[in-house]
Amino acid sequence: MISIMRSVRRMRAVFFARNLEYLRDRASFGWNLVFPVLIVFALAVVFSGPPRPLFTVTAVASDSLPELLEFPGIEIISADRSKALDRLSRQQTDLVVEVVEDSVRYWVNGNSASGAILELLLKYTESRSLERGETDGEAIRYVDWVVPGILGMNMMYSALWGVGYVVVRYRQAGYLRRLRATPLTKFEFLSAQVLSRLLVTLTASTIVFVGTNLILDYKMVGSLGLLFIIALVGGLAMITLGLAIACRTESKEFADGLLNAITFPMLLLSDVWFSLDGSPYWVQMIAQVLPLTHVLEAARAVMLDDAGVTDIAIHLAILVGFCTVGMGLSIKLFKW
Amino acid sequence: MVTVLLPKIGPVMPEVILSVTGLEKSYDKVIAVAGLDFDIAKGECFGLLGPNGAGKSTTLAMLEGMEDPTRGTVQYYGGPLPSDYQTRVGIQFQATALQDFLTPFDNLKLFSSFYDDPIPMDHLIDQFRLQEFLHRDSRRLSGGQRQRLLLALALVHNPEIVFLDEPTTGLDPRSRRDLWDVVSALKADGRTLILTTHYMEEAEILCDELVILSHGKALLQGPPKQLIADAGVSDLDTLFLSLTGETLVKTQEVMK
Ligand SMILES: Nc1ncnc2c1ncn2[C@@H]1O[C@H](COP(=O)(O)OP(=O)(O)OP(=O)(O)O)[C@@H](O)[C@H]1O
Ligand SMILES: [Mg+2]
Repeated sequence: MISIMRSVRRMRAVFFARNLEYLRDRASFGWNLVFPVLIVFALAVVFSGPPRPLFTVTAVASDSLPELLEFPGIEIISADRSKALDRLSRQQTDLVVEVVEDSVRYWVNGNSASGAILELLLKYTESRSLERGETDGEAIRYVDWVVPGILGMNMMYSALWGVGYVVVRYRQAGYLRRLRATPLTKFEFLSAQVLSRLLVTLTASTIVFVGTNLILDYKMVGSLGLLFIIALVGGLAMITLGLAIACRTESKEFADGLLNAITFPMLLLSDVWFSLDGSPYWVQMIAQVLPLTHVLEAARAVMLDDAGVTDIAIHLAILVGFCTVGMGLSIKLFKW
Repeated sequence: MVTVLLPKIGPVMPEVILSVTGLEKSYDKVIAVAGLDFDIAKGECFGLLGPNGAGKSTTLAMLEGMEDPTRGTVQYYGGPLPSDYQTRVGIQFQATALQDFLTPFDNLKLFSSFYDDPIPMDHLIDQFRLQEFLHRDSRRLSGGQRQRLLLALALVHNPEIVFLDEPTTGLDPRSRRDLWDVVSALKADGRTLILTTHYMEEAEILCDELVILSHGKALLQGPPKQLIADAGVSDLDTLFLSLTGETLVKTQEVMK
């Protein structure tokens, strides 16, 4: 009992010291808030026109695709049916087709003009029997799509560098050695770092979220509480990943390299900027082992489609898995 | 390793607090410490003297419990280092970083909370004259101010043994004398002090017992006065020169 209180006391002290260090570092503190806001606005301006002028058709696992799709100017994406229909209702695709034996099932979004045109063309070119389905849903603006991406990206940087790089800096400077000469335990030290950084990322994300929403009024139809839980678990997953990288690394330059090696694939493959639904299978498989992918899929499901806990449970479970493995490895492998 | 405890003879032997037997430390191909044997008496000021790379910091690290010896043992009151050894020793490393942006005040607060029964901060602030720069970013402190802060941090928990690795290197004469006063005060409190230095004069003034190290080995050990007398030389510098053919520190560097 007494030893737990002692532990908590030490952890609190390290936690506050790290918070102070961060808060007083005004430059990087400010940058953490300003940078994502700048990107959101830049993108809102750059992509304020209509989205890409192509027709996009999503094919649900079929071999003999309708002739229509051989026309130039039509982008074909394959996806499973539920994903395809989600895209359709957000008007990220204009038509969904699925060939079942000798008939072609297709879906259009009742609010989409491009969908109506494609439907006409399909009827005109297709010889097999057609079966119609319809969804509705507003087109989402690019900014609606990209805001979760940018928030997630910012969180990723803040989480990974805020512990990964900082702990290596402490080690290289000899500060960890100084701490080792005190009764502070690895667990106390690491937990304090994690909690401090979690507080920072959550606060920064909240401020940026509220700030950009006031001005851009992007789409947020789901539960704020659920979104917060995603940010919490996702932030934790990435923080512990950063910690795992830092647990033995002795040089800041090498830590920097490792962190870049992790963030780069996430930046490319986790749907930060564009949906990779149309990309090859193996790319999507790689994306699935990146925590940011799950953060963003869950966050977009909540923000754009009002998903509930059960809809995103799988993502949350995977993120909790990341946290457990990351923290376990860190505590096991950590060297002062 | 079997250690035979021989009964000490002679008048009132001081109690041995740390005792080192066959101590060695090697890193890959470097032999940093090549077999040391000595006892440190409770309450004395014990000095390790030697040129750069002699193995002083490495020896300290093993005495502090920060590094495990490659061979040999360090004993505390005749037994292994206890699990709470960290709370009984205070360490001032040769080079230490603190967290960026934290002030001496923040650091004192942080380090105090690592221990159950820390010395009140006000006492430390007075004793080490930290008041003047108490709320300045630690990175902006002068060498001497920083040294005082690090010393205060090493002492927050009122340790029984204090390790000082080159506490006066880089200090001006005044700060060096200040530090000597602090060392005397710590000794007067009954603490055991173990320090390293390159300065003969300092070793002569501060230390009750001295080991002169070179290339990880002890060239000589004993009370400084006696070492000088036995060798029939005028000071430690000459003694060291006669032992190794090397001068320890250029004369100009020695403070006056
Ligand atoms: N971690 C290490 N890995 C490899 N070699 C080391 C390591 N630590 C110390 N050494 C080597 O061991 C020898 C003794 O080093 P040590 O730091 O103990 O010397 P010192 O007497 O404290 O010197 P100085 O007066 O310069 O502080 C040196 O040759 C040093 O290069
Ligand atoms: Mg040294």
